[in-house]
Amino acid sequence: MKNEICELIYNREIAKSTFEMAFRSENMAAAALPGQFVHLKVNEGLYPLLRRPISIHRIDKSSGVVAIIYHIMGQGTEELSKKQSGYIDVMGPLGNGFPIIEGKKCAVVGGGIGTAPLLEVAKNLSDCDAYLGFRNCTYKVEEFEKSCNKVYVTTEDGSVGYKGYITEQLEKYISEYDIVYTCGPKVMMKKVVDICASNNVECYISIEERMGCGIGACLVCACKIKEENGDWHYKKACKDGPVFNAKEVLFDA
Amino acid sequence: MLNLEVNIGGLRLKNPVMTASGTYGFGKEYSEYYDLSQLGAVVVKGLTLKPREGNKAPRIAETPAGMLNSVGLQNPGVEAFLEHELPFLRKYNTPVIANIAGNTVEEYCQMAEKLGSQVDAIELNISCPNVKEGGVAFGTKCDSVYNITKNVKQFCKVPLIVKLSPNVTDIVEIALSAEEAGADSLSLINTLLGMAIDINSRKPILANVVGGLSGPAVKPVAVRMVYQVAKAVNIPIIGMGGISSWQDAVEFILAGADAVAVGTYNFVNPAAPIEIIEGIKKYMDKNCYKNLSDFKGKIQAC
Repeated sequence: MKNEICELIYNREIAKSTFEMAFRSENMAAAALPGQFVHLKVNEGLYPLLRRPISIHRIDKSSGVVAIIYHIMGQGTEELSKKQSGYIDVMGPLGNGFPIIEGKKCAVVGGGIGTAPLLEVAKNLSDCDAYLGFRNCTYKVEEFEKSCNKVYVTTEDGSVGYKGYITEQLEKYISEYDIVYTCGPKVMMKKVVDICASNNVECYISIEERMGCGIGACLVCACKIKEENGDWHYKKACKDGPVFNAKEVLFDA
Repeated sequence: MLNLEVNIGGLRLKNPVMTASGTYGFGKEYSEYYDLSQLGAVVVKGLTLKPREGNKAPRIAETPAGMLNSVGLQNPGVEAFLEHELPFLRKYNTPVIANIAGNTVEEYCQMAEKLGSQVDAIELNISCPNVKEGGVAFGTKCDSVYNITKNVKQFCKVPLIVKLSPNVTDIVEIALSAEEAGADSLSLINTLLGMAIDINSRKPILANVVGGLSGPAVKPVAVRMVYQVAKAVNIPIIGMGGISSWQDAVEFILAGADAVAVGTYNFVNPAAPIEIIEGIKKYMDKNCYKNLSDFKGKIQAC
C-alpha cells in the first residue's frame, strides 16, 4: 500500500460550508468499500501538519473516481475547500467498511455530514430505506432516492422534510427493519443504537474520533469496546473500525 | 562507496535512521508501505510490565506545525509484546529496540530482565509526560536519573539507551547523570509538555488536559538540546524531534547526533524514514563524505 498523488476532478460547495470533492485513483476506486475512509494531506506544507480522515461518499469503479463530502470544521478543511485543481496526496482506502448483508430489510440512518458514507451502503443493498437528518439545509437526497425505496428527510428548522430529529422518524418504522446502518453525531447515533437495541434490530455504526496516523500505529483514536464479561478495552477507530457492531461500542456518558 | 553504518553504544546499525517510539506501533502497519529491513532500527511503542489501556480520548490535538498527544502508554505489556509482536519484527533484518516505562525502579528492572537479549537494545523511557506515576518523574532530577539508569543497567543484557525529557531546566546535567550511571547512549528529545483549548467549548482539547508536543514545531528545541548534550557527553546520541526531511536529519547529525529517529512525520508520510535515508546518501555523495563521521558534529560553531 502507498499514498497516492491523485488528480483533483472537482471540489465544490454543495451546501453552506459543505463541500464535495472528487479525485481520480483507479486503485482506490477498485479497492474501496462502503464505509471506508481516505486520509488526505490538505497541502504540501507543514501547517496543517496532519492528514484529515474523511469517509468515502461515492465510488465509481468504472471511471476510477472517488468522492468525499466534508464540512469546514477547522483550518484543515478550510484549506482543503480552497483547492480548485491540481493534485492531492491521499492514503486509502483505510479502515473497515460496513458489512453488506443481502436478503434483509435495511435502513441507513445519517445525520448531517454523517449521511455521506451511507450512500455507497444504500447503493449496494437491494432493499434499503434512508433516514437523513439535517440541521437546516439538505444535500444529496436525490442520490439516496435513486438507490432506496423510501427516503425520510428531517430538518431541525422544518425547512425541508419533517421538522425535528431523524430518530423520531426511525422510531415509527423500526419494526420493519432487520439491519440499520448509521453514521452521524454521537447523540444521534446513541439514540439510533438504543432504538435498535430495544427492537432487536442489528445495527452497525461508524465512529468518529480524532485521528493521527490513520493506520493503527499511533493509538490516538481510542474507542471503548465492550467485553463479554462486562469489562471494556480500547480499540482503534481507524484500523479496527471505523465501523463497529453497535453491540460492541460503549458510549461515554 | 558510502558507508552509513553507525555504532550506537554497542548497537550496530546499517544506517542512522530509526523510528521513534510511540509513532510506529510494533511496525506491522508500516510494513505495508515498505520493507522494514531498510531501516536503521525499529523502536517499538513504550512497554510496561502489565498491559495498559491508556488515557481517555481525545488523545490528539493538532497545533501549529505539530501535535499534542496524551495516549498514556497504551500497550499490551512486555510479555504479550515478546509473544505476539516481536516475532513479526524478527522477520526483518533490522534491530529492534524496546522502549520501557514503569511506575517504580523495580518495574523497569524486571522488564529489562524479561526482555533479556531478545531485543537488540532497550530504551529507558523516563520522559513520558502522559502518565501519572513514573515516566517523566524519573527523568527530571539528576539523582533519580542516575539511580534508575544504574539499577536498570545491571539487569540489561543489551545496550541501554536513556531517553531524555526536554521538560527540564538543564538537559546537560541530566545527560551527564545518565552517562555517569552507565548509559550506553542517549536519545533526545521526548515530547514537550503542552496544552490546547477549544475556544468554543472552553474545554481543553485533550481529555487528559495536557499532552506531549511533537512534530516540526519542536525541532529547533531538539536541535539545540542535541547540540548542548553532544558537547558535554562522550556516549552516542540519537537525535529526534520534528524530523520531517533528510535536511532535518542532517541538521541533527551536524549538531552532534550519531543517529536520528523519525516520529510524528510517519503519520504524514509513511515512507518518510526511507526517503530520509536516500536523502542523506545524496547529501553525502554531493559533499564527498564517505562516512557519517565526516560530518557528524561538524557544525561550524563559534
